[in-house]
Amino acid sequence: MLTSLYVEGNSWFHRLPVRVKLIALLLLSLSLFATQSLYLLVPAFLLCGWLYFSLGMTLRQALARIGLVFFTILVLAAVNFFLLPLPEVAALVLRLMALVFFAAAVTATTTISAFMDEITILLKPLERIGLLNAADVSLALGLVLRFVPDIFARYEAIREAHRARGLPIRPLTIIGPLIVLTLKDADTIAAAIDARGFRRQ
Amino acid sequence: MNTRDLVLVALFAAIVVVLGLIPPITLGFIPVPITAQSMGVMLAGCIIGAKRGALAFLLFVLLVAIGLPVLSGGRGGLAVLAGPSGGFILGWAVAAYVTGLIAERFIHEGQPESRQFGGFFLASVVGGIVVLYGIGVPWLSAVTGTPLLAAATGSLAFIPGDLLKAAIATLAARAVYAGYPLLPVRA
Repeated sequence: MLTSLYVEGNSWFHRLPVRVKLIALLLLSLSLFATQSLYLLVPAFLLCGWLYFSLGMTLRQALARIGLVFFTILVLAAVNFFLLPLPEVAALVLRLMALVFFAAAVTATTTISAFMDEITILLKPLERIGLLNAADVSLALGLVLRFVPDIFARYEAIREAHRARGLPIRPLTIIGPLIVLTLKDADTIAAAIDARGFRRQ
Repeated sequence: MNTRDLVLVALFAAIVVVLGLIPPITLGFIPVPITAQSMGVMLAGCIIGAKRGALAFLLFVLLVAIGLPVLSGGRGGLAVLAGPSGGFILGWAVAAYVTGLIAERFIHEGQPESRQFGGFFLASVVGGIVVLYGIGVPWLSAVTGTPLLAAATGSLAFIPGDLLKAAIATLAARAVYAGYPLLPVRA
């Protein structure tokens, strides 16, 4: 149900460590926001676009992932068109689109587990000062992934129940029962986790 | 945080994911489709309280960031966060926190029903609309260069839909509170 946005492949960008890609994304956004020059932004846009489209997705797949973000950027550019000088609008659009291309490329070439390993490392300092437990974050993520299909099945069941009684399907009449039924499971799940000793406290 | 809190946070994040899978409803009179997902912020604060609600959304944003298509319409990944509406997504956790704080202050057991409705509605509007736009709009303006005033005026178009969402969230939160109260009690 929740298939990751990772795209199978073996390009040089796939092989780059996650940390390098994330730092590159950070540096890229900092440097792109620091410049207004079209001589830098146009090549950056073309390079990021080339990078993104060279990852082995079909054009359709590639566009489907970023279409809505690009649509928002273009709508805002249309507004800006009336308020700002043209070179500035062009710079804004190119900069944002370059960033979105690069960010989408990072997402497409990094597996969930690679991200998780990196997050665990990033959380280490917080763990040391006692703010949180890195293992808890992985546990919580695992729980979400485990329970989404169950909760969706429950949503379908509530919807079927509505249909069987001839009731219209409205968010209001579905969300309440969905939340109550789901959160009522919390105690059972918490007891199961503690019984297995996953969190040594 | 005990294990039960951890599980509540995870389950609520999972509920928000499922709300994104529900097909959106388009109303005739406003052009914006009502996705159940954007009510999640209001629901999280009103139902599981400030701290847990905010954590549920931090977890949700983490899911987005690591490339799971958990946003409505199957969107996700760093590209959405890098785009113009990234501020709204990152503002969700803060919005859920404020919603929760207000709900915890104003809702008590044994109040008349109307006070509870009022409290949940106030919490949803202040947290889910005022705070969220307070973060998302300046962010959008900074990222896209659209002047702040124009960005703010443009987002007024979403306010009617958001008020409707606050109303639905109020009714749902009150229904859950009556049946299975989880909101932490604040002295």
